Amino acid sequence: MRTATSHEAAAVGAGSLRIDWTRCDGHGHCAALLPRAITLDDWGYPMIDAAAVGDEHLSDVKRAVSACPSLALRLER
Amino acid sequence: MTAMLGLNQHGGGRPLRSRPPAGLGWVGQPRLLRGIASRDLTSYAEHLGEHGPRPTLTREALLAQLDAVALAGRGGAGFSLAAKIRSLRSGPDARPVVVVNGCEGEPASAKDAALLTRVPHLVLDGALAAAAALYPDAAVYPDAALDAGRALDPGRVLIAVSSPSVAAAVQRAVAARPDSPRFQTHLLPERYITGEARALISALNGGAATPPGRRVLPSESGVGGQPTLLSNAETFAQLAYLTRVGPAGFAEVGTRREPGTTLLTVSGAVARPGVMEVALGTPLSAVAEAVGAEPARAVVIGGYHGGWLSEQTLRSGPVPISRAGLGAVGATLGAGAVMFLGVDTCALGELTRVAQWLADQSAKNCGPCAFGLPALVQDLLALNGGSAGPAGPAGAAGPVGPVGSAGLAALDRHARMVAGRGACSHPDGAVRFLSSGLAALADEVRDHQAHGGCGRPVQGDLPL
Repeated sequence: MRTATSHEAAAVGAGSLRIDWTRCDGHGHCAALLPRAITLDDWGYPMIDAAAVGDEHLSDVKRAVSACPSLALRLER
Repeated sequence: MTAMLGLNQHGGGRPLRSRPPAGLGWVGQPRLLRGIASRDLTSYAEHLGEHGPRPTLTREALLAQLDAVALAGRGGAGFSLAAKIRSLRSGPDARPVVVVNGCEGEPASAKDAALLTRVPHLVLDGALAAAAALYPDAAVYPDAALDAGRALDPGRVLIAVSSPSVAAAVQRAVAARPDSPRFQTHLLPERYITGEARALISALNGGAATPPGRRVLPSESGVGGQPTLLSNAETFAQLAYLTRVGPAGFAEVGTRREPGTTLLTVSGAVARPGVMEVALGTPLSAVAEAVGAEPARAVVIGGYHGGWLSEQTLRSGPVPISRAGLGAVGATLGAGAVMFLGVDTCALGELTRVAQWLADQSAKNCGPCAFGLPALVQDLLALNGGSAGPAGPAGAAGPVGPVGSAGLAALDRHARMVAGRGACSHPDGAVRFLSSGLAALADEVRDHQAHGGCGRPVQGDLPL
């Protein structure tokens, strides 16, 4: 049993893609919109693959952020 | 409780458990616990008789003393107190708030309760020394100018506790002091998460005692949006001792890099459980001897976000009680809880009971923690019974049966889906505790996988 990657944040553009865990209800829209960068865990909560998100995805990331019904997915400065 | 004069109660403060009064002891010379055997140190006069008057230091003088002894927080993270003070936001609008964290939600820890009930004035003196250093113009805000109903007057100290009996003890101590208007006591819900810095600040601000989703630093915006110096009760007691004896006196015991003493709460398979004051660097074996520990199957140190020392580690040489000494064997000092597991207990069962408690303590605000910790408990229960299906070839060398391997693989997978995925460090700490335990108990895990158990009952050496 290991403690590995945190699946928590990814640098995009000048910001950082983060999840506010207190808000996230696991709707899963982010994983549908960013299938390469975000997968869902066993309970439907997003896991961010930081290596799969880059500046070139900025517009897709912004779309996913604005699609989050819980306002949990954020692009923080 | 609400009838208690001047007590600010937040939320439903229902006690989770009754904790027996801990014995108090020490290895070597006591400092924080000095005089406790012969005096009633809850009396302010007796306290002054034992420790002398409280010196008032400027911010610079206080920081110099803290730097000289590298005083680290005693709540778990072990962060430098000087660095914490320096990180407080400054500026014309900044009115720093000092908060004593006496919310000891860990069942295996009783040292802060012991300090606040038996030597409360040392904690209060330390907090006041910090507040005075942050307000060099304290004379502008004399005691008489403080408004009883307003928590954020400059130079005011807030004491946050989560046990009604500790709250009552703190209030009695405060009332006995000439500077009592400086202090305000807050009773917060008795839960593990309450002691988390941002959860505690949220509760003091009138919100839920859970950590907020956004990352806000207490040093930037804490109580009332003000920069907040929040530290553990023992940290302030150590600070009070330091300001009286100075860095040279403070460094007479301890290690060169970690001078002074620390408080431990020792429990499990020991003859005399309780709170112990030991010099940093004291070998774990000396603590074991002092409390009359049975030969240990394993030792849990640093509480239920801490780590396990295996039988092999315990045998391979002395383990110094210090952040460096414990770090060298992959453990942490945490808040100083030390639990000895006897050879007659099912250690995997003990670990599973604590896992269930950790899952119950989740505030359930963050999905991966709310769902992931119970999933880990189910994985562990399966492992306890040698997994839910037919066991692998008993006693066979090499890989255990396919079901047993799958049990560990499921644990591993779920652990990676939990660690680092929450608003606070509870899921990380829980996974650290479970991972460390499974590593330390590898032999016992194999027994369970091969035979469906280890034949020993769970004795409850890990207190809940």
